[in-house]
Amino acid sequence: MVKKVNSQEFANEAMKAPVAVVDFNAVWCGPCRMLAPVLEDISEKLGGKVSFYSVDVDESPDLAMRYMVNSVPCLVMLKNGELAAQTVGFRPEPLLTSWIEGNL
Amino acid sequence: MRYDIAIIGTGPAGVSAALTAKNRNKSILLLGSGKMSEKVAKAHEIRNYPGLPFIKGSELAAAFRNQLDRMEIGITEERVGAVYAMGDYFALQVGEEMMEASAVILATGVVQAKPLPGEETFLGRGVSYCATCDAPLYRGRVAAVIGYSPREEAEAAFLSEVCSKVLYFPQYKEETALPDSVEVIRETPEEIRKTETGMAVKTANGEYPANGVFVLREAVAPGQLVPGLETDGAHVKVSRRMETNLPGVFACGDLTGTPYQYVKAAGEGNVAAISAAAYIDRQKK
Repeated sequence: MVKKVNSQEFANEAMKAPVAVVDFNAVWCGPCRMLAPVLEDISEKLGGKVSFYSVDVDESPDLAMRYMVNSVPCLVMLKNGELAAQTVGFRPEPLLTSWIEGNL
Repeated sequence: MRYDIAIIGTGPAGVSAALTAKNRNKSILLLGSGKMSEKVAKAHEIRNYPGLPFIKGSELAAAFRNQLDRMEIGITEERVGAVYAMGDYFALQVGEEMMEASAVILATGVVQAKPLPGEETFLGRGVSYCATCDAPLYRGRVAAVIGYSPREEAEAAFLSEVCSKVLYFPQYKEETALPDSVEVIRETPEEIRKTETGMAVKTANGEYPANGVFVLREAVAPGQLVPGLETDGAHVKVSRRMETNLPGVFACGDLTGTPYQYVKAAGEGNVAAISAAAYIDRQKK
């Protein structure tokens, strides 16, 4: 499952997870809408190893600013709250899965 | 509705793919131009197209159109913004709409445009290809827009409603028709740079600072059009069956590499359609 979080929940959950993948997105962004179901599928497969979160950049501009999100969708991988990897744009499921696994 | 095959491009490769796909009883979404291919239409004379000796390019284009009409294949004249691999189907952003197909054949021809220095380095980190996608991220800030055709002016006008300032660099001769709030700069960008405060467009006359730079071209590179597609420079990597690295996506014609020959393109279109039809039949089992 990909859990939608606000800034407060982000601090309490995503920052504390051993490994978190955070999907920065916006309601007006076409590629974001396409990425969401792909990420949902991946979260089912990798759910044991990785926690998945979703952040709306309009609702949490502070988080978008902190991770310098200039284009959406943007995926950020955090390990114990530390930035481990970042990628921009849609990717098909197999490529996204290998991006996540390659950065574990 | 979900089409069996979406075919992008109406040159010899795309037309040939459409004819073959239709023969295989597949439902087709053919995206391109009613004038077919500009490259074909402008060819003076073609001497090596079997069966059509010394045909003028304009006549060949008309013959393509005629053959599509007789096979009852329509052309959707919209620009394809992106193709997303969703797993068991593809979502195509066609104009403002999302359309679906089980397989996709790319027959777009080859993109000649060379990216500006810095363009690819900063893509997604200050450089964007889609104003309507990323505009809200630049609310109240400065955007620079490098437009390669007059149709990009609509995007610049849209940005001007959101941004505090829009700099527009038209890379064509036509007069611009833009709101007064857009500052038109008739200079040639040489580089897109990252500065301490944001981005900058460098021209022979100096640097223009902006928070974001939008590069808007008529044709996008294949790897941009289909995220995840494996490319080799301007070309898409394919097998003998015209398969790309993404299952269900096929490529044909100039897009797959030289020689840039109409007959080769038509032949590859045929192969791509047969492969796509076989792919769909396997999926349905």
